[in-house]
Amino acid sequence: MTATSLDRPFTVVSLLPRLLDTNGDAGNARVLAQRIRWNGHDARVVEVHSRADLPEHVDAVSVGSGTDAALLPARDALRTLVEELRVWSNSGVPILAIGTGWELLSWGIDRADGTALEGLGLVAGHAVPRAARATDDIIVASKYGRLVGFENHARDYVGAEASPLGRVIYGTGNSDAPANGPQIEGLTMGEVFCTHLHGPVLARNPALADHLLQAAFKRSGLRYSRGARSELVDETARAARNQVAARLGQSVE
Amino acid sequence: MRFVSSFRYGPAILVGRAVRTLARWRKPGGGSAIPGVVVNRIAPGFLAATLNGFPLGLVIVTGSSGKSTTTKMLVAILRAHGLSVFTNQSTANISQGLTSALLEQVSLAGTIAGDVAVLEMDEGHGALIAGSLTPRVVALTNVMVDQIDRFHDSEMVVALLAKIAARATESVVLNADDRYLADLGNALEPGVAVSRYGVTGEVLAEHPRGLGYADTAPTRLPAGAGLQLTRVVGRDADVQFATGSHSIRLPARGIHYAVDALTALSTAGATLGERFVPTVACAALSAMPAVFGRGEVVTVGGKTIEFVLVQNPSSFQLNVDSLEPGTEQILVIIGSDVRDPSYFWPVHTTGLGHVLIASGLKAHEIALQLAYDDVVVDRIEPDVPTALDAFLSLPNPVSGVKTIIFSADGMRRTRVHLGLVSNSEDPV
Repeated sequence: MTATSLDRPFTVVSLLPRLLDTNGDAGNARVLAQRIRWNGHDARVVEVHSRADLPEHVDAVSVGSGTDAALLPARDALRTLVEELRVWSNSGVPILAIGTGWELLSWGIDRADGTALEGLGLVAGHAVPRAARATDDIIVASKYGRLVGFENHARDYVGAEASPLGRVIYGTGNSDAPANGPQIEGLTMGEVFCTHLHGPVLARNPALADHLLQAAFKRSGLRYSRGARSELVDETARAARNQVAARLGQSVE
Repeated sequence: MRFVSSFRYGPAILVGRAVRTLARWRKPGGGSAIPGVVVNRIAPGFLAATLNGFPLGLVIVTGSSGKSTTTKMLVAILRAHGLSVFTNQSTANISQGLTSALLEQVSLAGTIAGDVAVLEMDEGHGALIAGSLTPRVVALTNVMVDQIDRFHDSEMVVALLAKIAARATESVVLNADDRYLADLGNALEPGVAVSRYGVTGEVLAEHPRGLGYADTAPTRLPAGAGLQLTRVVGRDADVQFATGSHSIRLPARGIHYAVDALTALSTAGATLGERFVPTVACAALSAMPAVFGRGEVVTVGGKTIEFVLVQNPSSFQLNVDSLEPGTEQILVIIGSDVRDPSYFWPVHTTGLGHVLIASGLKAHEIALQLAYDDVVVDRIEPDVPTALDAFLSLPNPVSGVKTIIFSADGMRRTRVHLGLVSNSEDPV
């Protein structure tokens, strides 16, 4: 018999929201929880600042982006959670990591001053300095539809060529257009999704949010479908995406 | 000293005045930054020479948030002490705007009647012109994650503020609850006095979301180490001076107004020295007219409207949190100036409850955020004039006043549509 609900609320973990929420990236945890509620299930966001905050069950994880001054304390805090992160990523718990949060899950970060910061080594590749900061709207063609977001990063990402999140239609993404091969954005590994699209990427691109939720529900033997309220709100998201697309000379959905 | 170089800037001042007249003739109420552009081009030394020439010197108020309110409060306190004060009344915080403001009052000899100049400065533009200024006192309000298109992170903002603070010849006044400013104060060159102010642990504990700073200092200012805010309830606050405690009546509810008042009192103390009288200062503060939101209430067609300008996520949050409970008519206008729609996502907007219309170029983006915060949005109307007309045509609310929350671009469009005098810092 298929279960129809959990006997506990769905639990979305927001990792280090005090250090990694410069652009409201931690809002993505809120977006996942709301969409679960709009689907008729109970959901909660648990802010995890240290191991002591870890809940018993974890259904999805969101890691945001912070300032460079927060890199070291954020890395050290994440290191204390590396075993959990490994278990989650290996067992299909959806994880969204944005900007420096993503960089900290990688092999490491080369800083502009020549020093390096070792990452957690959870995903392949590493971050390297860019000549000039990339700050602009970004549009990406992906398996989860055309993603529209905003990027603001001083580093490129190398080593994601084997499994990017998508192809850059407008913007910079992991790096400027290479001499050969496609210009790519982000990284995926199982249900781990890493991206430069900061802020409320899941609110603006609900197809990606729903993919993460399907993965989360499946682990509990449940099926996720989009709630009626989500459908209404997604119309607003579509209008917001179209506005950016039209301004940048792209087709509207 | 000032008279030695008399009339050096006379021709430039005359040209600037002529341009001002022309600009006003062309566009009543607007365009007043243009004369400044012209004068700064033909006489680049005018601004610094005039600002540095006041008998009691120049006082600069800068930081991420609260500059305008603090400046207004400080001016009121200084005037209550009998000083004649030159200040940039509008939020003309760019050098062109400042020069234009000076042109209003300067004599052809390049002097202005007045004892002291009090200027609000944007951290970016302030740092640009700081090198030529010699302020007696520099007041630093706070560091908030602000204007991310221009200042990428707090460290960059702190570096700009440090550049301005380093120009102080006598004292730097700073918010000891702001970790970045506390560190900045500790790193200042010896020889400059540092006046610190802060809230007590009890006051901080009553604000579980904090005070909006990028980083709050881990410890509170010890009693006796500077002005302390010991209580805030609604519009009433208590301030502990070295000589005793005094109560003040704030121009509006909200902890940020109380901290602005503390900054102003502390800066007035540094500026006036022995002449500073706490009772006079507190009476002047309490006598300021009540304001709403960012400090503006207008009447259009017999209807009262409160304007709330949100300039950064922290001011947005503080304004949401201090909104009069039961405000039933809210219009939110977020415009093209919010380049990155992620900008306001750190703000918890749930407290708004119900928004009648979301408008502006970023109407859909803000409506999306409100929806995820469980705020009911009745209508999304990107066209600002259409939204304003619909909002104003509603009868006056039973509870609260009509409230418009807008970004700077939303404010500009609102003013234009309602025929209100445009802000003088608007470039054209």
